[in-house]
Amino acid sequence: MEGDVKSRITKKSLKLSKRNLIIAVAVFILLLIMPQFLSAYLNGVAVRVMIYILLVASMNIVNGYTGQFTVGQMGFANVGAYVTAIMMTNYEISFWIAVVVSGLAASLMGALVSYPARKLSGLYLAAVTLGFSEILRVIALNWISVTGGAMGIAGIPVPEIFGFRLSTPLSTFYMVFAFIVIMLICNYCVISSKVGRAWISIRENEEAAKSLGINTYRYKSLGFIYGGFWAGIAGAVMAVFYRFIDSNMFSMADNFDVLAMMIIGGQGTLFGPIVGSTLVIGSLEAFRFTAAYRGIIFGGVIIFMMWVRPQGILGKSTKDGPIKMFYNKLVSRSKANRKGGTA
Amino acid sequence: MTAAFIFEQLINGLSQGSIFALFAIGYALIVGVVGMATLCHGEVIMIGGFMAFFTISLSWIPTNIIVMALICFIVPALVGIVIHIICYEKFLDSPRHISLVCTIGMSILLINLAQIVFGTQTQGVRTNQVIQPRSFEVFGVFIGMIEITIFIVVIVLCILLALFLNKTKYGVVLKAVSQNRKAAALMGVNVKRATMVGSLLGCGIAGIGGMLFALYYSSISPLIGPPVMIRAFSATVLGGMSDISMSALGGIVIGVMENFGIAFAGSAMRDIFAFMFLILVLLFLPEGLRLGGGRRRGR
Repeated sequence: MEGDVKSRITKKSLKLSKRNLIIAVAVFILLLIMPQFLSAYLNGVAVRVMIYILLVASMNIVNGYTGQFTVGQMGFANVGAYVTAIMMTNYEISFWIAVVVSGLAASLMGALVSYPARKLSGLYLAAVTLGFSEILRVIALNWISVTGGAMGIAGIPVPEIFGFRLSTPLSTFYMVFAFIVIMLICNYCVISSKVGRAWISIRENEEAAKSLGINTYRYKSLGFIYGGFWAGIAGAVMAVFYRFIDSNMFSMADNFDVLAMMIIGGQGTLFGPIVGSTLVIGSLEAFRFTAAYRGIIFGGVIIFMMWVRPQGILGKSTKDGPIKMFYNKLVSRSKANRKGGTA
Repeated sequence: MTAAFIFEQLINGLSQGSIFALFAIGYALIVGVVGMATLCHGEVIMIGGFMAFFTISLSWIPTNIIVMALICFIVPALVGIVIHIICYEKFLDSPRHISLVCTIGMSILLINLAQIVFGTQTQGVRTNQVIQPRSFEVFGVFIGMIEITIFIVVIVLCILLALFLNKTKYGVVLKAVSQNRKAAALMGVNVKRATMVGSLLGCGIAGIGGMLFALYYSSISPLIGPPVMIRAFSATVLGGMSDISMSALGGIVIGVMENFGIAFAGSAMRDIFAFMFLILVLLFLPEGLRLGGGRRRGR
């Protein structure tokens, strides 16, 4: 029976079909070429979209696969950003070391938050994770000797690779693009591994997972730790892209934006975060000309998406197709008949 | 650290906590009756606060606390109906996170709309025109008229709500829907209308809370929403979600904790005392303050 569940999970939610693979490769090549023809402004927008992809995907690990309800991903990004900024400006450590360290620091924070969080679910968990993120923000705002307080940290150096300075949006684009590709491959491997299957089983039915001998506390913690790592890396990228960070960049509203992007894209899907953040940031940028009315349109787009496609763009449809529905009707009718016959 | 100082902080905390209690009562009503968490509660409170501002500053509205409370109840309640139709009604049977995201969109929309309609700057609310700036000395501690007004309004409102929920037929209907929506529907309750009344009441009470908030701080801005919403949310979680009286208690506890926290650790950290307290409570009491049994609706 376990094998049956295993094969069903891998087949339904993970397998890349041949068509999807071709599309993915085509998009990959397109994305490699595209930035060369875009203006610096559009490349900057693309980098912002990709930073959000990292964040949304890290939230998607916890919310989409583990089935928990965390809102505080910006807190991990906060830690990552400050670790990178402090390491690079104060100690002149290379970005490539700083990015890994900030990912690990955010993982540590994930482990910390998972301690109270693993016992909670639903809105209680949302409150704790959101609270954790806010606590980190307020600490960053008030620990002036380390984080610069409200002034933030300015003049973060440009990352270098083989003597080549990644200073323009174009070069940053390729750097973040590489991070995203690495992340997607990692996510794919983790989710199709034993850990990922444990996560999905916790999402589907926590009690059943427990009864099958899965240590749910440990796997939930692992989800927070792994998700926190990529959120930390997103924060590190934010630090070197904006060259300036302050605690306002990691506010509660940003947490909610990330949540909205994840659900609009479709949670529990590998490519949902990409679609969600592209659509949300893209629509925000596209309506820039409306100035003061932009926020209204942004809110309207979120509500509209929920009305039209509540499961997210890439999410599986909750309604069955017409054939399945017909089949269900037949089965239920024959069952009812059988019951009526025996009674 | 004299006794008078502690007593003063306690009074401050209680008056602030009573305002938070109103927010939390509204929140718990929505979570209980509609069954949905909301993230645009702060914006409803903000609209209530602006209604208080307009009752004072517009000359053709009589500046009287009862008229003001009525206006501050009705307008947010109407907003509540709009929120209900857009964010909850269609998704009553869908997973919860869908309507939650809808309320995120609604909150962004309302903040930006308020910035366009009410203006972006912080508005001063002339509290003195409604409540006389007098204070009474009790045991060497001064208690202002505003604090007394807050206590009276909150207590009266709580009594009215308790009477409504326990003694009237519609109140019982709301409680039935909050306990089991399907069973209530089978008993012939119009669930759609009951949930709408629930969110109407919740938003209206939050609006009166917003009025008291604006009067207490003598200022209101379109951006007060999120930090205020957080306190309502924390208080409700503390009360075990959907339990109205416990949520009110949670609000008072958070108000008192926050004031003592500010008194002892400085106001820079004011936004996180509620959270720190909440995390500590949830570490040891995962069900919130509600120690007894009962079904948990937080999932």
